[in-house]
Formats: sequence, C-alpha cells, structure tokens
Amino acid sequence: MNLKELTIKKAHDLLRKKEITSVELVEAHFDEIKKHDGDIRAFLSLNEEQALEQAKKVDERISKGEPIEMLAGIPAAIKDNILIRGGKTTAASKILENYIAPYDATVIKKLKEEEAVFIGKTNLDEFAMGSSTENSSFGATKNPVDLERVPGGSSGGSAAAVKAGFCVYALGSDTGGSIRQPAGFCGVVGFKPTYGAVSRHGLIAMASSLDQIGPLTKNVEDAALVFEAIRGEDELDSTSVQREWPARNASRSEAGGEDFSEPIDIEEVKIGVPREFFTHGLDPEIEKNIKAVITKLGKEGAKIKEISLPHSDWALATYYIIMPAEASANLARYDGMKYGYSKISNLSPRSSFGGAGKSQISNLLEIYLKSRGEGFGDEVRRRIMLGTYILSAGYYDAYYKRAQKVRRLIKQDFDRVFSKSAGNIDVILTPTTPSTAFKFGEKISDPLSMYLADIYTVSVNLAGVPAVSLPCGEVSGLPAGLQLIGKNFDDIKLLKIAKFAETLIKSHEI
Amino acid sequence: MITKKEVEKIAELARLGINEDEKEKCVGDLSSVIGYVQKLSEVNVEKVEPITGGTSLESVTRKDDETKDIADDEMKADILNGAPDKENGYFKVPSILK
Repeated sequence: MNLKELTIKKAHDLLRKKEITSVELVEAHFDEIKKHDGDIRAFLSLNEEQALEQAKKVDERISKGEPIEMLAGIPAAIKDNILIRGGKTTAASKILENYIAPYDATVIKKLKEEEAVFIGKTNLDEFAMGSSTENSSFGATKNPVDLERVPGGSSGGSAAAVKAGFCVYALGSDTGGSIRQPAGFCGVVGFKPTYGAVSRHGLIAMASSLDQIGPLTKNVEDAALVFEAIRGEDELDSTSVQREWPARNASRSEAGGEDFSEPIDIEEVKIGVPREFFTHGLDPEIEKNIKAVITKLGKEGAKIKEISLPHSDWALATYYIIMPAEASANLARYDGMKYGYSKISNLSPRSSFGGAGKSQISNLLEIYLKSRGEGFGDEVRRRIMLGTYILSAGYYDAYYKRAQKVRRLIKQDFDRVFSKSAGNIDVILTPTTPSTAFKFGEKISDPLSMYLADIYTVSVNLAGVPAVSLPCGEVSGLPAGLQLIGKNFDDIKLLKIAKFAETLIKSHEI
Repeated sequence: MITKKEVEKIAELARLGINEDEKEKCVGDLSSVIGYVQKLSEVNVEKVEPITGGTSLESVTRKDDETKDIADDEMKADILNGAPDKENGYFKVPSILK
C-alpha cells in the first residue's frame, strides 16, 4: 500500500471491504513516521496508544458488520493549536509547553463522533504566526519534497505530514494563508472554508475576525469529506453560522444546498482571473503553469474573464494592522496566572521589605513581564508589540480604523465580482504563492520579506470568503499551487470546480 | 521611525519583558513593518464605514447559565491542575494591593 497516495475514500473502501483493518492502517502510518519523521519533524507529539485503541474499536464494529462513518478508523493529524482533551496542546510555544487541554475543540468532538483516529499533533509557527514553521519554539519542520526547504506555514507540520504519508489527512488553521500556503509549498490540497462555516471553539485564537479551521488532504474530494464532517453552527463560537447544509450523501432532491457528489457542468462556470494577482514578483514558471490550466479550463467550456480586485495591493498592509491588533488582545490571556509558563512561584512573599533573593520577583507586574517575556518567542512578541502600538491612544484612527475601512473596500471588491448584477463570477483563479518553497534561513531575519509570502492569500481572510489551494505542477522539482476563491458559503460549489480543475491538471500533467 | 523609548513604552503596555539587545532589534523590525503599513494612507477612505469582520455577522446572545461543560467537575479539576498556583478550587494570584 502506498501511504503517500492513500485517500480517505480509498481507505474507507478498504476498511469496509475488510481488505485492511484500522489497526493495520494505524500501524502502517506509525511505521512510516518512525522511519522518516526524524528527518521531517512534522509532529510535536504522537498518540500511538490511544490511536490503536480507537482503531480496535472501529475494527470491532466492522467485524460485527456494522456500518461505519466515512472518517471512522482513518488516521488524522491535528495542528497543535487545536485542543484534544487530555493531551498536550502547545501552539508550538514555550508558554504552553506543558499545557494539557481540558476540553475538546468542537471540530475534534465532531471527528470523534465519526470515530476518527488521531495519531498526533503537528508542528506550526508559534501561535500560528509565520509562513515557514521556523518560528516554532520546538524546531522547524522540513519540506518532504526537499529537506533543505521550508514546508510553508503556519500549518507546515500538517502539510508535511499529509505529503509524507504520515496521515491520511490533517487539520490546520488559516488566518492569512496558513493552510493554503503550506499546501502549495508541499504539493497537497488545503482548504480554508467560509468564515463562520466551521466552529473555532477550541482553536487557540490568533486573530479572531480572520481565523478559520480547515483540512489538508491528498485530493479535493477528501477536503470536501472532512469539511462535511466538521462544519456547522456551534453555540460555543458565536461567529459560527447556521446554514442549511445538505445532509451527507443526500440525494439532490432532499439537499438544502449543493451536493459535492453531483459533478459540476463546466460550461456553466465563469472563472475570474484578477490581473492584480499576476504581479508582485510572481515566478514566471509558476505563472506558466497557472496560465496553462486557465487555457485548458477555457477549452473545456468554462468562461474565462479577466477581472480586477482593485484594492488587492493594500490587502497585505491591511492584514498586518488588523491581525496584530487582534492577536495582541487575544494573547493578553497568557498572564502566568491561570495556565502556561509562569514565574509566579518566584514571587518572594516578603519582597517589598527587600528580602528577595537573586531569582526572586517582587511584584505582580514583574510576574507578567517575565512570564510573557520569557514564554513568547520573537515573532509573537513582535506582533504583540505591533498590535499594542497600533491600538494605542493617538494611533488608533490612523492605523486600526483606517485598516477597517480599507478592509471594507477589499470585501466590496469581492462582492462586486461575485454579484449576479455585476461580475457574476463563480470562482476566482490565482496562484497560491508568488514563489515555490524557499530555503531555511532565507527570510527569517527580515520579517517583512516573510510576510510577502502571504501576498495572494490574505485578502481571502479579510473578505471572509472560502478558498482552496491545489497542486499545479512543479517548478524546478518543487510544487506550485493554484488557488480558487469562491463566494461566501458557496464552499461546496467551489470544491466541485476545484475537483474539475484537479482532474484536468492530473490528466494533462501540468 | 519608532524610537527606543517608544519600544520601551509599548513593551511595558503589552507586559513583555525585553532586554537591551532586543530593544534595538525591535526598533528596526517594528519601524520596517510600520513603514510598510503606512501604504494605506494612499487609499481614499472618505465616506467608507469601518468593518469589523469578513462576513456580515449579527450579534447573537445566549442564556447566561452554566453550560454543561463548565459544570463538568472533572473538567474543572483539569483546568485547575493546569494553574501555576491554586487553593480550595480557586486560582491563587498575588495580591495587587499593598
């Protein structure tokens, strides 16, 4: 069995036909991890014992002839900023190095209902802040395609684990491209659902108006299968939205919306190609691959239209105001009092009388300063300070309020393109990143150059729309990524069009 | 653009202890990012209302009662076990008044 190409659908069929057991499936993945994760380092922690226990349960059900859910018994890797009760959740930060999650994230609860098997927690940039995993406090993950290169980030561990065949699928989180960019760099599929489609309860918050959980998978169909399992309203996330999603495997007539298994009629699809996304130092070889797909889609009957998203040029600047502002507020909770790294025990009880020893701390303020100063890494502190500066008196209007206004203009660009009366576009097609995976150390010393890796992905989060990255051939042996962006809550239609594009790319060997 | 003095002030507001070397680095890093985001002054935002999120969300409310999760004793114990200092089922924190 080639684990690298094993999809959810295939694994599910093998389990159902009793050609393999879940225990065998889990063991095979752990063998692969033991062989190769020493080099790749996709995981921060592994969960072998519990994974096998869960697998056994599923095997028992299968042997009794009971029907099983699509994701039952299938090994999944989870980004380590998503809580699984009873296990460590570190967000790749020293400040949470020993944090044990006291509850399950809603997505985990839903996957447990499907009897999914969690094999381990994957590496990320600390608190999901970064584009390479180099900001992880526990060492970077390597790109399985080329060990000298980064896997992208922040969900770099999840993308690498899927690519290396360490799991069948993984969950990541995407605030400005953190699912799609690493998917692009590693050559897997990464899907960021519409804002509000998937509950973030139990996701360690970075920037709450942008964060979204989504799957990293080996093909588009699997992304749809995982999305169907994790979506839905949740009273524990007030931004999650109630929708009439079609029932799983429902026939078209009973479905309240689009059904993934119904193929798309490509002649009815209108694809917008925004001219602003083919600048910013786009690698000409990536552009060639993307243009080849556009041509092929046109030949198949899709209507291709050049469009403009005129405020795209300001998306990254807007993002780097809104994101740090929200992050600085969200990360205020790490105070060394309730959980996480703390200097509280160094407090001298009689310090105010000058009786403190060398390592002693004399007051509450010092506990905050030291716990946070020592617990957070460079990039996290940088963003907290940026956010604090931007939100401070005298600067709020000039930065934060202005950014919120530009954000509205960016969203209106998308609304216009998608609206029936104006652009009437079904999906927007762009590259995922301007370049392929870069080498370790190339951008880490210059934060701004690292931020530019997200230039094509951030506007999607600002507008709240869904987007998926899929492999689009190679450039000098490294994967290139194609991004498709859909209308709010048109997630299934977006994935259907992505599936069409995926088939086309595979059959033409782009 | 951002001075060392400002860095010191921001770090204190953000409750981040930083040493002298880091301050110098922060001056450079923060200045370069702030310099970049000033690009937004090019955009005409006259008569544009600020937006707070990507989707048109409406405020939602819920009943102010203990949810099942919070009432879960085992979870309560797990939460307290993660605390650096605790006493009688409460987080224990240093006094703020002298």
